[in-house]
Amino acid sequence: MPPSRDDAAVFTQIFDQHRHTVHAYLLGRVTDPELARDLLQETFLRAWRRLSELAPLPADKQRAWIFTVARNLTIDSYRADATRQAAEATLHQQAATQPTTVAGPHLHAEFGERLAQLDAAIRRLPEQQRVILSMATAGGLTSRQIGEALGEPAGTIRYQLSQARTQLAAALDLEDDP
Amino acid sequence: MTNSAHPDLDQLLVAWAHTQRLPDADAQRIRQAIIPPVPALEGSWWSEFNHKLSTAITRATTTPVPAFAALH
Repeated sequence: MPPSRDDAAVFTQIFDQHRHTVHAYLLGRVTDPELARDLLQETFLRAWRRLSELAPLPADKQRAWIFTVARNLTIDSYRADATRQAAEATLHQQAATQPTTVAGPHLHAEFGERLAQLDAAIRRLPEQQRVILSMATAGGLTSRQIGEALGEPAGTIRYQLSQARTQLAAALDLEDDP
Repeated sequence: MTNSAHPDLDQLLVAWAHTQRLPDADAQRIRQAIIPPVPALEGSWWSEFNHKLSTAITRATTTPVPAFAALH
């Protein structure tokens, strides 16, 4: 049955509300931008197919629902050996080439170099810390919201964030001032 | 040290986050790939609508007022 205009509008609202945070989560998990985009599309495709179930939920429950789907899809993608190997190959390739791609031409050269160092250091973080850092910075979520999405206490999220910052500051030889 | 040549961790993280965000154009492509196109109204609906509208306008502007009143 073709969608109604109302369905499309409701879905667009949900998509726009959660796409940044889900993308940040997926990027933190898989690190490969192309794979993250594919998983984002698959996540929201499932949301679209279950719209009648998802739409009535409050925003925090919608987020939890969507993140459950995203987490399961990520696990599925890990199970596919070929996909995993491709992601790892991309990860290593990007880690080697990132200094020229992360720094935009508008950035000061030294700032760009520091940014590339940061990106490489983030890629070396333990996966859970990388995911949480990505959700907090790129996704703009609070520790409480991240905790709700991942099923972890907010205190655990704050601790992991603090650990990640400490490691990044050490890797970049910076003073951390959280 | 917080100038652009010696950024602190927060400045770097903000800049890094900016590089990670999904561009709006990419997001729109994904959204459009998910939602099938909503069918437009059929041509016959518009034809019928235009016919009714033009008939009403013609009747209201060409029929004498007493005769128009008698019709209703």
